[in-house]
Amino acid sequence: MKSKVPYIFLAVGAALLLFGSYWGLFIAPAEQYMGNVQRIMYVHVPSAWSWMLAILWAFGCAIAFLFTSNMKWDSRMEAGVEVGILLAFLLCCQGAIWAKPTWGVWWDWDPRLTSVAVLLVASLGIMALRSFVDDPVRRAIWSAVATIIASVDLPIVYFSVKWWNSLHQQQSSPNTVSSAFYIPLRVNAFGVLFLMIGFIWLRTRVAALKLRQETAIPHTYEEAGELA
Amino acid sequence: MNGVVQGGWEFVIAAYTITGLAFVIYAISLFARLKELKKHD
Repeated sequence: MKSKVPYIFLAVGAALLLFGSYWGLFIAPAEQYMGNVQRIMYVHVPSAWSWMLAILWAFGCAIAFLFTSNMKWDSRMEAGVEVGILLAFLLCCQGAIWAKPTWGVWWDWDPRLTSVAVLLVASLGIMALRSFVDDPVRRAIWSAVATIIASVDLPIVYFSVKWWNSLHQQQSSPNTVSSAFYIPLRVNAFGVLFLMIGFIWLRTRVAALKLRQETAIPHTYEEAGELA
Repeated sequence: MNGVVQGGWEFVIAAYTITGLAFVIYAISLFARLKELKKHD
């Protein structure tokens, strides 16, 4: 049964994302000033929230690995970083598509955009580092340290719109968003969150299986795949 | 010119298409990698 749980997360996540996107595209009203373009928010903001959680997960796994030296945390960290790359890539694409009609440019070296790009490049660097190092223990230690260093950028991403004069708007909350908008936003937020959990879970199995075949470290992919 | 963004559906469609495609392609790549690794396990 445990082996099916990530697939259940993926199925529920996909269903929520489809439902929320339908609501956001066809039921929710257009925003007063941005018109229909604002509907990008229903995929952009959930991607941002889940991306931050994925990086936070990778950071936690890196700390746990350095304290315990248990390779299951290394597999989990690798999964968090890779899923973080997927979400950061999406975040940058959706943001650029939203920026063009509203700001007039696809990209701006604004503090929020730049700090996200830095973390995306750092995550790609961590995955490159992992592919260059053959010794699993060294690979795990070096990439855990690199993940912790890269994660320093996460609070900078979050607070960048408050600390600096940013083109990007400040964080929204249910108190600052009309109820017509936050229902599809919340549904999609849970949809992307469930997809992220399912992806990290399955990617952890991939990493654990690769490690087992590489080193014959005696833990099963089901054990390593447990998120809790 | 009234300060309101006109049209824009093409941008919305592009954003949702990229999002959907990225999730589907990543899911397929994960399933394929897992299947391949299980075969050799």
